[in-house]
Amino acid sequence: MPASGSNSAVAVWTILRKECRSEWRTRYGLNAALLFALASLTAVSFAAGRLGDRSDVLAALLWIVLLFATLSSLSHAFVREVEGRTMLLLRLVASPTEIATGKLLFNVLFLAVVEVFAVPLFLVFTGAPPVRWGPFLAVLGLGTIALAASSTLIGAVIAQTRGRGALFAGVSLPVLLPVLAAAVSGTRQMWSAHPVAPSLRLLAAYAVALLAASLLLYDHLWED
Amino acid sequence: MLLRLSLFVWISVAMVVALLKAPLVPVLLETTRVLYFHIPCAWIAVVALGWSMLHSILYLVKRDLRHDDHAAAAAGLGLLFCIAATVTGALWAKAMWGAYWNWDPRETSIFFVLLLYTAYLALRSSIQEEEKRARLSAVYSVIAFVAVPFLVFVVPRMYDSLHPDPIINRRGKVDMDPMIVLCFNAMLVGFTGLYFWMQSLRVRVSRLERRAHAA
Repeated sequence: MPASGSNSAVAVWTILRKECRSEWRTRYGLNAALLFALASLTAVSFAAGRLGDRSDVLAALLWIVLLFATLSSLSHAFVREVEGRTMLLLRLVASPTEIATGKLLFNVLFLAVVEVFAVPLFLVFTGAPPVRWGPFLAVLGLGTIALAASSTLIGAVIAQTRGRGALFAGVSLPVLLPVLAAAVSGTRQMWSAHPVAPSLRLLAAYAVALLAASLLLYDHLWED
Repeated sequence: MLLRLSLFVWISVAMVVALLKAPLVPVLLETTRVLYFHIPCAWIAVVALGWSMLHSILYLVKRDLRHDDHAAAAAGLGLLFCIAATVTGALWAKAMWGAYWNWDPRETSIFFVLLLYTAYLALRSSIQEEEKRARLSAVYSVIAFVAVPFLVFVVPRMYDSLHPDPIINRRGKVDMDPMIVLCFNAMLVGFTGLYFWMQSLRVRVSRLERRAHAA
């Protein structure tokens, strides 16, 4: 079905553009995430000093800063629609899977933008040892996709419950923990000159499994 | 009634034989006996969580609340057996490795599984409407079980762990005394029976609750 395939690609693209535009109008989520990243980076590097020789601690800190800087904004993709009462309208123009794929791509983009600012700052502030860019970017990229895939789906679940804000962290962190653990160990191996491949394989496998499961699940997320 | 009684007799006999008659493994010595509880608990935890996912998928396809009863009961029991496996494992670790908890890869991954299903129960308790609760927790249960194979089977084999290979080891065989294997298999069957009995009880209770609620 080439026609319907290109139709849903158009729908996904439209959703992605709509997300980018509504984020750009206020830049509320982006500003909050960047500010949080900057503040927590300052706090960490001020409290711990330069950690150039402790790459194990650095790897953990990097992912904790990235995770918490982006967590609240990632869940917001669907909460925004529910709070603005625009979910129903959105569902009239696109299928649940198209909406979710668009929002997932937006979340990947959002994470990437935050990382472009936060990662260089992190490397400078903490006096990190030189990175091997190939493995580092691979860990960052796969970690970003896995984080976005799981938090988009959990965000869609949480948006329909009542205690949204409080519940999101508690419910999404257990799903994100394997991602975080694999990404941290990959980053640590990158710095300690160990092979990164096992962690990359684990991250990639988990990301693919999450993506596949969430694409199957989105159609069942709302009542018919 | 007869089934329950035979289950009771089965587990009792297996337990007595395992504790009194089965020989000890050289290094493990007296702690060998934890094996008859620890591994069946871990096994049942995975079975129960898989059962929960199966009924979650069935619920999403058929939208029948009876599947939700099964999914919820199985997740609760899976969590219970997971805790039992963790506690028996911690006791065993204290005796063999010198500490109850050491963030060994297998300890870490079972901890993640515990967190996942605690979150599942937290999610359930935060939604009032029955249909919505069933739908959203079914989605969450499927996503949680995507992580379970990674945590239970992949991660502990990737990193250096003190924990011996789980039930199916790399060579696909068990190097143990036939008597131990017999007792272990009997306990495995007994625990599986116990689990499905508990499961049916919980499902019946939640059905009665719904009927009482509707009346």
